[in-house]
Amino acid sequence: MTDAHAHLVKCFAAVFPRLSPEEIPRANINSVSAWDSLATLTLTSLIEDEFGVSIDPRDREELVSFELILAYLRSDKGVS
Amino acid sequence: MKLLDALSLAQQAPSGAAPFRALLACGFTPLHLQTFLAGHLQLRLPAQRVEIQTGLFGDLAGALAGIARGGCDAAAVVIEWADLDARLGLRSLGGWRPSMLPDIVRAVRERLDHLRASLDATGGRLPIAVAMPTLPLPPIATTAAWHASSFELELRAAVADFSVEVAMLPLVRIVSGQELDRLSAPSKRLDVRSELDAGHPYTLAHAEATAGLLALLLAPSPTKKGLIVDLDGTLWRGIVGDDGPGGVRWDLDGHAQTHGLLQQVVRSLADQGVLVAIASKNERAVVEEALARSDLLVDPAQIFPIEAHWGPKSESVRRILTAWNIGADSVVFIDDSPMELAEVRAAFPDVECLRFSGDPGDVGAAAALLERLRALFGRDTLTAEDTLRVASLRGAADAEREGTLTSPETFLQGLEAVLDVDLHKLPPDPRALELVNKTNQWNLNGRRETEADWRVRLDDADTFVLVASYRDKYGPLGKIAVMRGRRRGRALAIDTWVMSCRAFARRIEHRCVEQLFQRFDADEIVFDYAPTDRNAPLREHLAALLGDAPHPGLRLARSRFLSICPPLYHTASEAQERP
Repeated sequence: MTDAHAHLVKCFAAVFPRLSPEEIPRANINSVSAWDSLATLTLTSLIEDEFGVSIDPRDREELVSFELILAYLRSDKGVS
Repeated sequence: MKLLDALSLAQQAPSGAAPFRALLACGFTPLHLQTFLAGHLQLRLPAQRVEIQTGLFGDLAGALAGIARGGCDAAAVVIEWADLDARLGLRSLGGWRPSMLPDIVRAVRERLDHLRASLDATGGRLPIAVAMPTLPLPPIATTAAWHASSFELELRAAVADFSVEVAMLPLVRIVSGQELDRLSAPSKRLDVRSELDAGHPYTLAHAEATAGLLALLLAPSPTKKGLIVDLDGTLWRGIVGDDGPGGVRWDLDGHAQTHGLLQQVVRSLADQGVLVAIASKNERAVVEEALARSDLLVDPAQIFPIEAHWGPKSESVRRILTAWNIGADSVVFIDDSPMELAEVRAAFPDVECLRFSGDPGDVGAAAALLERLRALFGRDTLTAEDTLRVASLRGAADAEREGTLTSPETFLQGLEAVLDVDLHKLPPDPRALELVNKTNQWNLNGRRETEADWRVRLDDADTFVLVASYRDKYGPLGKIAVMRGRRRGRALAIDTWVMSCRAFARRIEHRCVEQLFQRFDADEIVFDYAPTDRNAPLREHLAALLGDAPHPGLRLARSRFLSICPPLYHTASEAQERP
């Protein structure tokens, strides 16, 4: 598991405390009932704060799963 | 606190803990402000489970109405310019034409009148923290940004007037703009993107700072009670033993202004009821001569006791704590010597030890210390008891000396003691709740109460509260005991009993119990007793009353009490109306 992966798991656990560590890597907006628009705002703000990046609001709509967010951080933001 | 910390804290509330319900009333999407408020409150109230309730977006007035409906323990009200007139926000396109400005000022004043009425309607039922507009005004005035327009000045005057009036309402506390400026730079507060995107106008840092101050106002830390100050290099510049009583300085000319400023703060704290003592390695006679100087800014009469000798400072602190009869965790010790601070800290880890830097090249550190003292001793209101404290301690010392010369019975008989009992519940006496939340040694179960809980209990028709005030020939002690309970037929169920340690050994506790039996014609009192780490004095008293070790739910029959109650020499009276 990379640093970015572990760090993102931490962020997800803080925003969605009911998800188990095993569920988090598979989490997506359809599988997590608590993932509403407010949770999206909290999650993206948290990721910006934790990873020191800025997420364009237009990108936010695409970031609908753990996997997509991790890929976005790695490819678009250069997080390793 | 980072956002991740705030989110994590909210999950750390102990399961089964009593809830602390706080209403966050704001006109914008509360989002991160809500998260940080929950985090800060949870940090301050680790034994409770913090729950934040919020109102509807754009409806600050509706959220405020929620306070009056009840159901919460505290409320945070956050007012921004857009709540006072939507045209002052970035989400409205209502127009910024110059001709509109007078109407905006009028609308803001009207809105503030409405908010004041809503806050007034809460009637002091619960603590309310209010944050006045913190964000910059939009570029609506016709002047350049660096030129304060009459429009801006009128708006700020309206808000200032509102703040002054609201701050006088019971239990309403206003967030200090100066402190918020220190923690959150005004130019870094507005997050335009978040405001337009999500209706949350605060940057993370500003949300965190604002929430932190709101939490401090809603769940304040216990204030310190006593201040022990060193002399040479601290209260004044110089060594009094070498320079002589006239040679020590605390003025600008002597490059000793920070010592004078410390004296000013010490005097102010003493005036507000903080206990002040001196711990100095010096000859006592020299110290007394210096303290008698007419230009001293501290009143020597307010200093008690003075420990001046060549023994360790920790020994002085030990004697002072005994004289004050308060816990080490309620005390602050100031000295210029790191070694003395370390020695006291090692002996009393709970005493807050602070270094005073008298170095003229480091005046910033001294100024920061003065701010720190204000924070540690800050109080909402001052009561008559606050100003009596030192006099009553001196009186107790005199009484103790006299008590050692006569028999205890003769001593009590000659005290000319008067106990005034007040059974009026409303309006709530803030001193009663203060005693409940500050008293440890004579505390029936150690439970603390929020202002909201206290008020709810007083509203209950069967609940009574007894507040006892005491005076004798050595002076008044003020309000020193509180008992709260409910009538259950011919029994009384007492769930709160606290008494100031200054009132021990005068049989006030017996008189209070006797008063309850008589006043309510009760046959029995049931005490909701629970042992705590610190309520041994009460435990011993109850054991003596019962003839057995006290236990939760213990019962004291009137006949038993009368058979063992020692002679009581006080004159007792019941207040007919609230003094």
